[in-house]
Amino acid sequence: MRPQRNGLGAWIMIGAVVVYMGFLIVAPITALIIGAFGDGLTAVWQGITSQAFLRSLWLSLRIALLVVLVQSVFGTMIAWVLVRQDFWGKSFLNGLIDMPFAVSPVVVGYMLLLLFGRNGFLFPVLARLGISVAFSVPGMFLATLFVSLPFMAREMIPAIENLDREQEYAAETLGANQWTVFFRVIFPQLQSALLYGLTLTFARALGEFGAVLVIGGGVQGRTETTTLFIFRSLEERQFIDAYSAAILLGVFSVVIVFIADEMKRRHSKHLEAGEQAPVV
Amino acid sequence: MKKQFGLVLILVAGLILCGCGSGNTPSDENTVKLILGAYTTPREAYGQIILLFQDTWYEQTGQRVEFEESYLGSGAQSRAVVEGFEADIVALSLEADVNRIKDAGLITHDWKAGETKGIVTTSVVSFAVREGNPLNIQDWDDLAGADIDILTPNPNTSGGAMWNILALYGAALRGHVEGVPGDDPQAAEAFLMEVLSNVSVMDKAARDSILNFEKGIGDLAITYENEILVGRGSGQTYELVLPTSTILIENPIALVDANVDQHGTREASEAFLEFVYTIEAQRIFSQHGLRVVNQQVAEETSADYPPIDDLFTVETFGGWEPIMQDFFGEEGVYTRAILQVQGGE
Amino acid sequence: MKAAALLRGRKRQRSGWLLRLPSVLYLVVMILIPLAVIIQDGFREGISELVHQISLPIARHAILLTLWTSGLMTLINAVMGLLTAYVLVRYDFPGKRLLNAIIDLPLAIPTLVTGVMLVMLYGPQEALGHCLYDKFDIEIIFAPTGIVIALLFISFPFVVRNIQPVLQNLDQTPERAAATLGASSWQIFWKVVFPALILPILNGSLLSFSRAVGEFGAVVIVAGNIPLKTQTAAVYTLGAVESQNRLGASAISFLLVAIAFTILLITNAIQKKWETR
Repeated sequence: MRPQRNGLGAWIMIGAVVVYMGFLIVAPITALIIGAFGDGLTAVWQGITSQAFLRSLWLSLRIALLVVLVQSVFGTMIAWVLVRQDFWGKSFLNGLIDMPFAVSPVVVGYMLLLLFGRNGFLFPVLARLGISVAFSVPGMFLATLFVSLPFMAREMIPAIENLDREQEYAAETLGANQWTVFFRVIFPQLQSALLYGLTLTFARALGEFGAVLVIGGGVQGRTETTTLFIFRSLEERQFIDAYSAAILLGVFSVVIVFIADEMKRRHSKHLEAGEQAPVV
Repeated sequence: MKKQFGLVLILVAGLILCGCGSGNTPSDENTVKLILGAYTTPREAYGQIILLFQDTWYEQTGQRVEFEESYLGSGAQSRAVVEGFEADIVALSLEADVNRIKDAGLITHDWKAGETKGIVTTSVVSFAVREGNPLNIQDWDDLAGADIDILTPNPNTSGGAMWNILALYGAALRGHVEGVPGDDPQAAEAFLMEVLSNVSVMDKAARDSILNFEKGIGDLAITYENEILVGRGSGQTYELVLPTSTILIENPIALVDANVDQHGTREASEAFLEFVYTIEAQRIFSQHGLRVVNQQVAEETSADYPPIDDLFTVETFGGWEPIMQDFFGEEGVYTRAILQVQGGE
Repeated sequence: MKAAALLRGRKRQRSGWLLRLPSVLYLVVMILIPLAVIIQDGFREGISELVHQISLPIARHAILLTLWTSGLMTLINAVMGLLTAYVLVRYDFPGKRLLNAIIDLPLAIPTLVTGVMLVMLYGPQEALGHCLYDKFDIEIIFAPTGIVIALLFISFPFVVRNIQPVLQNLDQTPERAAATLGASSWQIFWKVVFPALILPILNGSLLSFSRAVGEFGAVVIVAGNIPLKTQTAAVYTLGAVESQNRLGASAISFLLVAIAFTILLITNAIQKKWETR
């Protein structure tokens, strides 16, 4: 049912929503952009080409990429197991996946500190192996892994639920082994969800702050991600550095999420239109 | 599509792996990496001193030294080192924070053995007020006024905060606060409570506190003279007010044996520790708002760092050990005061 | 056919474990163990010590502040989220696509950046912040108001995106029927549309509440760290960690985890109940 003309009530509601979103979301973003370019373009450029920033960006990217790699494998696996298998403790596991979403990042960092700090349970073992986790990149990697865990699984579960089992049966009766079935029948159908999950995971990993602050310590030159760089720049009164980095991080995250959003939209349009994902 | 995807994954994995290799250990034997854990206030000073040290060391030995620096509230930094942060050198705000690391077994030499007893710089507790000093703050008694908004950090994490409390209490105890009888612990404690009840923001480190002040919070910030001078050096317009009676803030620096030996950086670390006492380094400190321990530089800069009428030290209270218990312990003077002040709201 | 099916079954069983074991192991190691460590450390000195830590004035205040700001935010978010979803699904207007896209922004933007943006907009030195303070005596930065605004920003998508698909797929026959029977727009909304949306509203609200309780990045920038004034539970925990107050840190961490877990259980229960209607 398409609405005819919007009545007065409708316009009031629309106006309320626009004003609300304008104040809540658009205004702060605008303030940041204005503030960052307050000293001109060169200041911003210097900020984002400084060695400290680039080093922090490289660290953030490395951690995020590794996290994405691991989560894509495990997230898909977990989703598969939860959809296609039945076993004792399944609903508990299902609930567990959502926990990282609600646990405070500070608590995440602290949990890892309890495990890997000098007084932690796992410290003696790792010290003998010469591996440092607390106040090091591995610890930050684990923290980021924790907080980003739900995203991949939650995207893959509905995608796996919607798989076309007929094609799988058909392929199997034709003699295809499990690997072939996976790579040629199942995987193509999951691609779009996988990509979207990857993007969300990546954006979340890049933006992690509280947990990496606690477990990493923000040591310049060693455990400073872009978020921690922004935090430190604020403390050093290097405001343009902070704002420029914030804009870069924000814009980057928003762009990749928007692209993924758009791809998802297009893909679901394909499905609606009755096209199936290519089998080969 | 599948092939492209696979290729991308391999590329990504490759990037990560080759990225993982670099930046962890020095790639050649002519580079050594030192890790510095310091409190927040002298970050600009150490930034410059490090640059100078890198040049000097390279000239002397042909070895490159890289630094990893961390700046946190002194207490937070000290605890981080105990918790596992592998600093080779710690430069903290107060002796007690270094002793905490020593008590954890990570410092095994007598770090106070040197000429200056391990102290590399000094400062004094003072006030930052708005441009033009609109409230006409002159001394401690002005802080107990009715309508004044004060910033001071949280002693739980900040060394600077502890110095502030001791300066306040000490000045009152020594009879240098108008309206507060000297030698009267109860009166001093009452004064402490009055001032604390005017505190609106208690941030986690001295630097955070002054940044709040710069954001427009509060009428006055109790902080290191050093912090104020650095702020003014970067364009801030607040003014420095020195009270008639205040405590001498003595900042220690020490080498952390456990980490230094584990990293194999003893030679460079000891060199850096000597370097911070040289005239060049002490000059850099004084250019960044710190009072110095080097006599010559102190004389050179005496105009910028006026003497205080009544300057006392932690010895007034018997040293840091009793202070940690009597002031900041569970039944300590400060702990009691803050709970009373804030619990009553 | 039967033989092939049997063969398939056996093959599946073997591969089942191949996938299940690493998955379960991963979840156990990544999630269960860290949570267990917190729970164990929280109770290290016994339950009375745990309760004592939570009841300390500064801690108690932090917890209550967290709960009421998150609660208030959730209420506002539920209302505005419902309004926004309704407007987007039922009406057409210029800029609708843009609005729809903006909704997802808070999800993508790192929370630290959110905090920075809000301080830039409402800080006492900024034009807007100064004006609000002078004319209306409203403090936003370093005040609970700022916390609520930051939480609203971060949680905005949750309720909207939960309601949108449900509203989109809603069969409008009952509404049309009600209209022909003479019901007013309000009545139609409350008696016909709203009941169908209760579940997504509830789900989205629970989600935003649990997210808000643990929020750190935005809050630490916007609210600062004033014990007994603007210090939330998460920021208190950071202070406890930094001052090596292990008892305090573990106690509050345990509480936060318990709250998260409880909300999870409630959400699951609601989901189950809804599905068996």
